[in-house]
Amino acid sequence: MEPTRSSDAGSGNSGTYTPEIAESIRFEEEIQSLMRENTMHPGLEPPPVGGGGSSFTALLGLPANQAVELLHEPESEESPAVAIASASGGEMWRFRLRDPKALTLPSGCSPTFPSNAALVERAARLSVFATEDSPEAASVPSHSGDRSTKPKAEPADSDSQPICPIPGERPQRPAKRKEADKGNKVKGPAKKTKSAEEGSAKGAEENTSGSGEKLPYVHVRARRGQATDSHSLAERARREKINARMKLLQELVPGCSKISGTALVLDEIINHVQSLQRQVEVLSMRLAAVNPRIDFSGLDSFLSAECGRVTVGDGRCGGGMEQSAWMEATAVNEGRRQQQQIWHVDSVHPHPTPSVWERVDSPHLFINPGTSLFGYDPSNSGKRRRRRR
Amino acid sequence: MNRKNSNKSRNPNKPTLAFYFLRALACINKKTSMASYNQRSGTIKRAAYASMALAAGPKRAWSRAVLCRVLWWGSSRLHGFPTRRRPRAFFHRRVRVADPKLREPSKADVLRRLVPGAKAMDLSRLLEETAHYIQYLRAQVLLMQNVVGSVSD
Repeated sequence: MEPTRSSDAGSGNSGTYTPEIAESIRFEEEIQSLMRENTMHPGLEPPPVGGGGSSFTALLGLPANQAVELLHEPESEESPAVAIASASGGEMWRFRLRDPKALTLPSGCSPTFPSNAALVERAARLSVFATEDSPEAASVPSHSGDRSTKPKAEPADSDSQPICPIPGERPQRPAKRKEADKGNKVKGPAKKTKSAEEGSAKGAEENTSGSGEKLPYVHVRARRGQATDSHSLAERARREKINARMKLLQELVPGCSKISGTALVLDEIINHVQSLQRQVEVLSMRLAAVNPRIDFSGLDSFLSAECGRVTVGDGRCGGGMEQSAWMEATAVNEGRRQQQQIWHVDSVHPHPTPSVWERVDSPHLFINPGTSLFGYDPSNSGKRRRRRR
Repeated sequence: MNRKNSNKSRNPNKPTLAFYFLRALACINKKTSMASYNQRSGTIKRAAYASMALAAGPKRAWSRAVLCRVLWWGSSRLHGFPTRRRPRAFFHRRVRVADPKLREPSKADVLRRLVPGAKAMDLSRLLEETAHYIQYLRAQVLLMQNVVGSVSD
């Protein structure tokens, strides 16, 4: 619907006539005739007719609130196009709408529009006005000209509608409400999909959301009563990111999920990291104490002679027992039961990073023709010493 | 938002971790059997971090930083570089992230000091790296406990 609408507006602005535009022009003529009937209403002038270009603005010259409702959304959608087409007309209708006298018109002029329902139906039929569609068109004739029910219908419309994907449409509804109904509190229909924790309704946000009307590309949605300027949005996004990460960390660190408050959680995380690092140090000391007992003998000469790929149990002469002993010793290797590993010397003195990372993907098979290889078949108790050097 | 790496910190690949660590242990045993106890424990500790970083992959900032540090250790030992030299200066960006909205600036700074390679990072990135680092640290500790437990029996 939206692209058709915008295309209609665009085509209308460009002057090409489509069936919808022809109908809108007929609509416009009807409205103009109606308005000429009501010349007694002050502040009303026949809207400037700019051909098909300002059809929407002409329609918006209608003093009736129904027309305002009907036409405001598409007009606001087409605000960039319309603004380009006829800025003066737009301002004029805005000024007219803000005119308090214009607000009293509906009650006065509804009886003067005998064909109001017909107009409304035609407006509803028009594809360009079919945004808020049937609920709006249905509500409009029901409360024709009733000003008090209009704001109620508005929230009903907004509630009944699914989340509208029209960009820039939402921030403009409060603007319309602000213009049309100054007395009521703005219900804050601006809803942003980024839900933040702060939901406090601030009065200042109404103005900012009203200023959002001018921006055609506000694609984010704010919670009701929240600021819509880009800085606060970015801040909110950042805060949400940080909070998501904090939640992840809370799950990782044991005993952190009960704690509330970022500072305490951070304290816990710091303590956890420090304790883990201390554990690594203690364990390395224990391993250093234990290590002399372990004898990792090497098969490097054999392997360098072989000078190639060593697969499962191929290059090992009777190393099956050592391997099983090694497996028992480690008790951690699940997937390396059948593997022969070729050790490179650079585990302790590592090579530059790129060559090291190459081996990350395939720890099982190494092809090292030129380098000095030694495989090791460690024996647990040190009883077996295979010195192939 | 980082969809893929914010919601799922990759679980450490335990076999790979064990592989690198045991290999390092083997080399240490081979090479430094005559070294002193303290030296050996320091080497083992460095080997533990190196294997952890190797298993983590080059995608994480902390693993890269750890590997650079290990490189520095290795190079300083092999080539007799003066120990005062800090290769981190090459990688340490002087950009100090000013974050007045931090809960308490000292906590994040402490965390930055603890997690390697997290000095010049904004808070969200820091938290992500910390989560990853904790995962790998825990896996490494478990591995070492297993090794010690099985060897000392």
